[in-house]
Amino acid sequence: MTATGTTTPYRSGLQPGRDSFAQLLHAEWTKFRTVRGWVVAIIAAAALAALATVALAAAADGTHNPGAHPTVAIGPGGEAVTDNFYLVHQPLTGNGSITVRLTGLTDTEQQPGRQPNRTINVPTVQPWAKAGIIIKDGTRPGSAYAAIMATPSHGVRLQYNYTHDAAGVPGAVSAASPRWLRLTRSGDTITGYDSADGTHWTKVGAATLTGLPETTQAGLFAASPAALMSIQGFASNNGAPVSTQATGAFDHVSLRGDWPGPAWRGDQVGSAGGTKSHCNGPPGSTCISPGDQGEPGAVTKSGGTFTVAGSGDIAPYVPITDPLGLTFKGTLVGLIAVIALGGLFITAEYRRGLIRTTLTASPRRGRVLVAKAIVIGAVTFTAGLIGAAVALPTAEQKLRSGGWVASAYPVWSLFSGHGLQIVVGTAGLLAAAAVLALAAGAVLRRSAGAIAAVVVLIILPLILATVLPMAPAQWLLRLTPAAGFGLQQGTAQYAQVTHACLPYNGCYPLAPWNGFAVMCAWVVAGLGVAIYLLRRRDA
Amino acid sequence: MNRALRAEGASLREALHAEWTKLRTVPSTGWLLLTVIALTVGASALAAEVVKCPASCGEDTTKLSLTGILLGQAAVAVLAVLVISSEYSSGMIRITLTALPRRSTALAAKAIVLTGVVLAAGAMATAWSLVAGRYILPGNGFTGKLGSEALSLGAGPTLRAAAGSVLYLALIALFSLGLATALRDSGASIAVMLGLLYIVPLLTDLGTLDPRWEHRLQEWGPMTAGLAIQATRNLKTLPIGPWPGLGVLAAWAAAALLAGALVLRLRDA
Repeated sequence: MTATGTTTPYRSGLQPGRDSFAQLLHAEWTKFRTVRGWVVAIIAAAALAALATVALAAAADGTHNPGAHPTVAIGPGGEAVTDNFYLVHQPLTGNGSITVRLTGLTDTEQQPGRQPNRTINVPTVQPWAKAGIIIKDGTRPGSAYAAIMATPSHGVRLQYNYTHDAAGVPGAVSAASPRWLRLTRSGDTITGYDSADGTHWTKVGAATLTGLPETTQAGLFAASPAALMSIQGFASNNGAPVSTQATGAFDHVSLRGDWPGPAWRGDQVGSAGGTKSHCNGPPGSTCISPGDQGEPGAVTKSGGTFTVAGSGDIAPYVPITDPLGLTFKGTLVGLIAVIALGGLFITAEYRRGLIRTTLTASPRRGRVLVAKAIVIGAVTFTAGLIGAAVALPTAEQKLRSGGWVASAYPVWSLFSGHGLQIVVGTAGLLAAAAVLALAAGAVLRRSAGAIAAVVVLIILPLILATVLPMAPAQWLLRLTPAAGFGLQQGTAQYAQVTHACLPYNGCYPLAPWNGFAVMCAWVVAGLGVAIYLLRRRDA
Repeated sequence: MNRALRAEGASLREALHAEWTKLRTVPSTGWLLLTVIALTVGASALAAEVVKCPASCGEDTTKLSLTGILLGQAAVAVLAVLVISSEYSSGMIRITLTALPRRSTALAAKAIVLTGVVLAAGAMATAWSLVAGRYILPGNGFTGKLGSEALSLGAGPTLRAAAGSVLYLALIALFSLGLATALRDSGASIAVMLGLLYIVPLLTDLGTLDPRWEHRLQEWGPMTAGLAIQATRNLKTLPIGPWPGLGVLAAWAAAALLAGALVLRLRDA
C-alpha cells in the first residue's frame, strides 16, 4: 500500500474579489430588498404619511376660522400684503423729489393696561417700526410704492413694493444724530438717498415701479406693527395683540418738481381700528397679525416741523397660522415607521446573528455602518420624496376647498422655492430620522430601546414645545433633532417682518435649513458613536 | 404524584413565581425601571425649572411637576414590550408555553408581575417629581401670590393627580404588553405604541382641525385622555374628565390585552 501523495490544500475557484465599497452597498441593498416586510413597510410608511397629510388638509377647517380668510390687500406682485399706515401727502405730477430731515423716531405701546397675571413677552420697541418718506401710486392699500425710512433697530432702509428691502445708514435716529432722507422720481425709477448732514448724500438704492402713473401721492409716513404678546404654557396657549405706534419728527421738508397741491393732508391708509384674526387657543381667543394696526394715526404741524404718528405696517402679509405646515404633521405617521425600519436594519442582524457574517465578509466595520446608512437613507429619501410630492398638491387643493384663501395662503409649486423645500425637506427629514435610528440600533443593539429612544428624541420635543412657555419651547426646537421640522413650514418668512414665532402655531425659531443642519449634526454624532462602539465591541 | 407532572398544569401562583424570576433576573429590567424613574424625575424637574411665575403664573403646578411622565412612559412601554417580545425573539416563549400550557394564565401572570414593578417604579418617579416641584417652584415665583398656585403635596387634587399618574404608567405597561403579545415583534410593537401615544396630541394641537374632530381625538387618544388625570386646574375646560380619561386608557389597555390573549391562544408560538 502506497502512501498517499501530498494533499493540495483547497483553493476556491473564485477570483479573489476586492472589497470595494460598491460591493458593500450592493450587499446592504440586497439585505433590504429581500426582506419582504421591510419593502412593504417603507411603501406603507410613505403611503400612510401622504394619506395622513391629505386627511389633515381635508379636516383643516377654514370656513369657521376667520384667520383662513383674512382681509388683506394684494400687492403689485399679486402677493398678500399689509398696507396700513398714516400718510401725510400731496400729489406729485411727473418727476420730482422730496427731501426731509428726521430728528426723532419713538415707538410706544398703545394699550398699556394689561392683565397682571399673564405672560408678557412684548419687546418695548418694535424693531421694524418705521417713519420716513414715500412715493406711492395713490392711497389704495396694496398699490405700488417706494419709501425710504428710519427704523429703531435696522437703520435706514429703502423699501419698495412690499417685498424689497435694502439697507442704508445703520444706527438709531435722535435729535443729536438726525437722518436726512431723499426720494427722487425719474420716470418709473425712484431713487433713495440718505445723509447724516444734508450735504453729503449716499445712494441707498433704486426701485423700478413699472406702470407708475403720472401723478403719485408723496409725503411723510409712520407705521409700527403690532407686537404679539405671547401667552403660552401649560395653562393656555394664546397670543394677544398689543398695538404700537411710531412717531416720527420731520423738518426741513423740501420739494422739487411739480407739486400742484392741495397742501399737506393726513390720511389713514388701510383700515383703522385693527383687524382681529383668529389665533390658536381657547375658544373665543383672538390675536392680531403683526401688520394689523390699532388706533388711527395723526399729524401735528408747528412751523416747519411735522410730527407724524401711525401704527400698522407696509410689508408682506405673514399669516400667524400655517395650515400647510401643520398639515404636513401627517408625516409623523410615516416617520415612526421609518424610525422602526432604520433601527431594525441593524438590530435584526444582531438578533439573528447575521452581524457576525456581515463583519466576517467585511472586516472594516465602520464602512459597513456607512454603507447601511447610505442604503437606508437613500431608500427612505426616495419613498419620502414620492410621498411628499403626491401629498403637496393634493393637500393644497384640499386646503383651498376647505376655505383657506389663496391670497393669504399661496399655492406653492412642486418644483420651485417653497414647495420644493417642503417636499425635499420632508424626504430629508425622514432619511435623517432613519439613519439616526440606525445609529441608535448599532449602539443599543435592541430594537425596542433604539426605536423608543429615537422617537422620543425627535417627536417628544414637538409635544413639549406646545406646552412649555415660549422661551424654553424655542430652545427645545433649536437644540433637538425636532429642529429639522422647520423645513415643513408652509408660510414664507421675510426678514423685514417680525414674525411672532409661537411654537404652538407650528413656527420654528431657526431658519429651515439651519434647523435641518441641527438634525444632521445629531445624525453625524450618532453615527460617530455607533462606528466607535462597533469597532471596539465584540459583535 | 410529582407536582410538576400534574395534568392540569401550573397554577397562577406558580406562573407568577416563574414570571417574577424571569423579570428579576434579566439585567435590562432593573436598568429600564431606573430609566423610568430618572427620565420622569429629570424631565419633571427641568420643566419646573424653566417655568417662571411673573411670566406664566397661571400654570397648573401639579401637572407641571408631573411633566416627566410624558418621557417616562416611553421607557415603561419598552419594558412592557420586552416582557413578551424578547421571549419571541429568543424562542423562550415555546418553553414558557410548554411549562404553562394555559396560555391566558401565562399572559395574566406576566401582566400582574409587570404591573407590580411598574407601580413601584411609577410611585417613586411620581413622588420624587412632586418633591422636586415642591422645592423648585416656590423659587420660580409660584408662591400663591399673583394668581399663581403653590404646589401643595397634601391637597386632594394633587394626590389624585399623583395616584392617577402611577396608574397611568401601569395602564401604559398593560397596553404595551397586550399590543406586543398581539404583534410579537418588539420593533413593530414599540413603534405602534409610541405612535398611538405621541401622534394624537400633536394632531389635536394643530389648531386648524375642525373643533369637533379635535375634541373627539382628544377624548379617544390614549395619552390625551389618560393624562387628564394630571389636571388640577380649569377642569371644566378639559376635553374629558380626569377619571373618565383614565377609563379611556384602561379601555385601550383592556382591548389590547384581549387582542393579545386571543392571538396567543389562536396562533402557534
